[in-house]
Amino acid sequence: MFRRKIAIAIALVAASVTTVGVVGVFGDASVAYAATTTLTPVADTYTDNSLATTNYGTSGQLGVDNSPIKRMYLRFNVSGLTAVSGAKLRIHTDDVSGAESNSGGTFTSMSNTTWSETGVIWNNQPAVDGTTLGSLGAVVRNAWYEIDVSSYVKGNGVFSIGVTSSSTDGADYDSRESGSTAPQLVITTGTSPTPTPTPTAPAGDPVLVGAGDIASSGTGDTATAALLDGIPGTVFTAGDEAYPDGSASNFSSYYAPTWGRFKSRTRPVAGNHEYVTPGASAHYNYFGSAAGDPAKGYYSYNLGSWHVVALNSNCSSVGGCNAGSAQEKWLRSDLAANAKACTFAYWHHPRFTSGSNHAPDPSVGPLVQALYDNNADVIVTGHNHQYERFAPMNPSGQLDNARGLRHFVIGTGGAGLYSFGTILPNSEVRNNNTFGVVKFTLHSNSYTWQFVPQAGKTFTDSGTTACH
Amino acid sequence: MSGQSGLSLRARGAIAGSAAVLLAVVAVGYTVRARPGPAVTTSGTAEAGTASSTAEAGAARGDGPRLRVLSNGVLSTVSLQDPGGPRTLTSQRCDRAFAAADTIACLRPVNPLGATQLAILGHDLRERRSIPLTGFPNRLRVSASGRMVAWTLFIDGHSYASGGGFSTRAGILDTRTGTLVDSVETFAATVDGRPYRAADMNVWGVTFTGDDNRFYATMSSGGHRYLVEGDFAARTFRTVTDGVECPSLSPDGTRIAFKAAIGGDPARGWRLSVLDLATKKTVALAESHSVDDQAIWLDDRTVAYGLQRSDGTNDVWAVPADGTGGPRLFVSGANSPSVDGSGA
Repeated sequence: MFRRKIAIAIALVAASVTTVGVVGVFGDASVAYAATTTLTPVADTYTDNSLATTNYGTSGQLGVDNSPIKRMYLRFNVSGLTAVSGAKLRIHTDDVSGAESNSGGTFTSMSNTTWSETGVIWNNQPAVDGTTLGSLGAVVRNAWYEIDVSSYVKGNGVFSIGVTSSSTDGADYDSRESGSTAPQLVITTGTSPTPTPTPTAPAGDPVLVGAGDIASSGTGDTATAALLDGIPGTVFTAGDEAYPDGSASNFSSYYAPTWGRFKSRTRPVAGNHEYVTPGASAHYNYFGSAAGDPAKGYYSYNLGSWHVVALNSNCSSVGGCNAGSAQEKWLRSDLAANAKACTFAYWHHPRFTSGSNHAPDPSVGPLVQALYDNNADVIVTGHNHQYERFAPMNPSGQLDNARGLRHFVIGTGGAGLYSFGTILPNSEVRNNNTFGVVKFTLHSNSYTWQFVPQAGKTFTDSGTTACH
Repeated sequence: MSGQSGLSLRARGAIAGSAAVLLAVVAVGYTVRARPGPAVTTSGTAEAGTASSTAEAGAARGDGPRLRVLSNGVLSTVSLQDPGGPRTLTSQRCDRAFAAADTIACLRPVNPLGATQLAILGHDLRERRSIPLTGFPNRLRVSASGRMVAWTLFIDGHSYASGGGFSTRAGILDTRTGTLVDSVETFAATVDGRPYRAADMNVWGVTFTGDDNRFYATMSSGGHRYLVEGDFAARTFRTVTDGVECPSLSPDGTRIAFKAAIGGDPARGWRLSVLDLATKKTVALAESHSVDDQAIWLDDRTVAYGLQRSDGTNDVWAVPADGTGGPRLFVSGANSPSVDGSGA
């Protein structure tokens, strides 16, 4: 139990440590204040080219060197802050002989923010590929050093910093496992008026809200429907609306009393469970024209400055999803005719997922490719009963901040939650203990997502990304 | 139950011996980890650069007993002396892995159509045999001698959580003779002393005894989840008791670690427990989280198991096998543990 308590304490520290406020000039319209927030890394490790298959993720020490070549990687998760005005990285050299060096290393931002602390080795190291943030000259043992990283850490987000050295005399630092001498990110906030509340959508921006894997004999569907009672906007489903068979009686017994309350503002897609009933006929009968042509199940519509595409990933039921299939050809022509600034797509089977119950499905790859070729922005699926958010990726699943689509798996509509398996690259956030819906606010040239948890649960995830 | 072969006795002696060594090195490991400062070094007084290099080289060579784990699907090892220290990763990817003696079994990542593969590797990681299988990798076991391999796959429903129930298939391979049993369900079953057939039968979670013939497993039918004892050569199994899932036989062969459905209802989760085979008495272990794993025995007094955090990260925990004490984090960011005592 003792060790478990330590683990929990570290997790809490990582979330948010201390906020030291210096509050000044009250009772004035221009209330100014400055505060610092100190974060410890959510992950840190190093690699060593002389031991190219060894991982040091749980070690208490970090090393940077040029002989053998050692590179350090640090990751911080900044959330819940407003008006970030500066950030400093503080690292502490080991209190052992040999920790000192004539060079403390060069600190560089990294595009990869999803590397695995216990999976990084020299042979698979993430690239230290960003902007140089600063360098340290000679360092002595048992001392703190600071690097100004304000040019990189400008607000909330996940930040990766790589450290390299051209010196053959390596430096050794304490890692996050070391306790009070763990690396720190000290963030200064303030110089702005009273903190702005969580960004709210400018009035009038349309909302698209929903989830997949929804109604069954359990109670999760009731919990998520209660959330939708308070969220206006268009409701999407990502398939598997009514378990176990998507039959008319499954719809009337389970879906109608819960999510059925929002039927008139719902634009659904069918999942594999709907197709247990031949042709997903009960799904199409229940939703009527809102579900599209029952022979196709794919359709599109517009919301504000967004084009929204609902696709049918039950590929074998609609003549395939491959390049040249009717659906893929329709999708390409639909996207070509679209004049909206941003594009959102949803269907049931995920192209990328870390869930253990259903593997990533390459059969929808041609649909992902068509969306990528046409500069679409967001893909939402379900099928694995959990929440997962990926960084923007190209159709091969590689990080692509320029043109990539952000993939979400939102299988949290109410059906029993699943475990995760191997976590895929570029998976940024995951949760499998909370039912909920995701509210997408579709701005004129960006989108904000917010995972809204069932009553009594605390997991959430939100952010904003610009359209291409 | 009688008729222990000489091989079995020798094997049990060897296991008991290595368990004692294991216990000692685990204690050393905790001393190292508990001390603040550079946990990477094995000696706090040595010069940092050389000390860490020495420790790392040792880790890379695989000196001493190792714990084999998966690090996010990558076959890896950590030192049992310092499970929080440097970790050696291989290029092998598995959804589930288990190592014993000179055999490493690896269930390859399943593809979208549910195809997987059982790979039998030597310690050089060269593949000796592979068997195509269909289903989602769930459990995997190698007998202490390295000869027998057993696996469980979800065939349908994919998990206990699925509303419509599930079905499993458990198979066994004798790597010495090449005999392959695709499904233990085909064995002649005896329930409460009577021959038994049922269409709803599922078998999962095989664990071998020291004689490389007898085994224990879970057989479910008609709402029961029986502990069964099987005989590979005779192709039979018979029920021992009820309410036992994912059994794991202790190195001394006297107890079964298993997951006990809370209140008899798997939907409420499972309590890690230990059954004494002689007295049929069960003790709940001090882990209060629901454990959905086939535990392993680090020695005759300690079991280890995987727990997944809500973000999908796995950790290996350890807890005393007698219900005392409390769980402790053994290897963070890892699952599918097995003790790889050969040190090769």
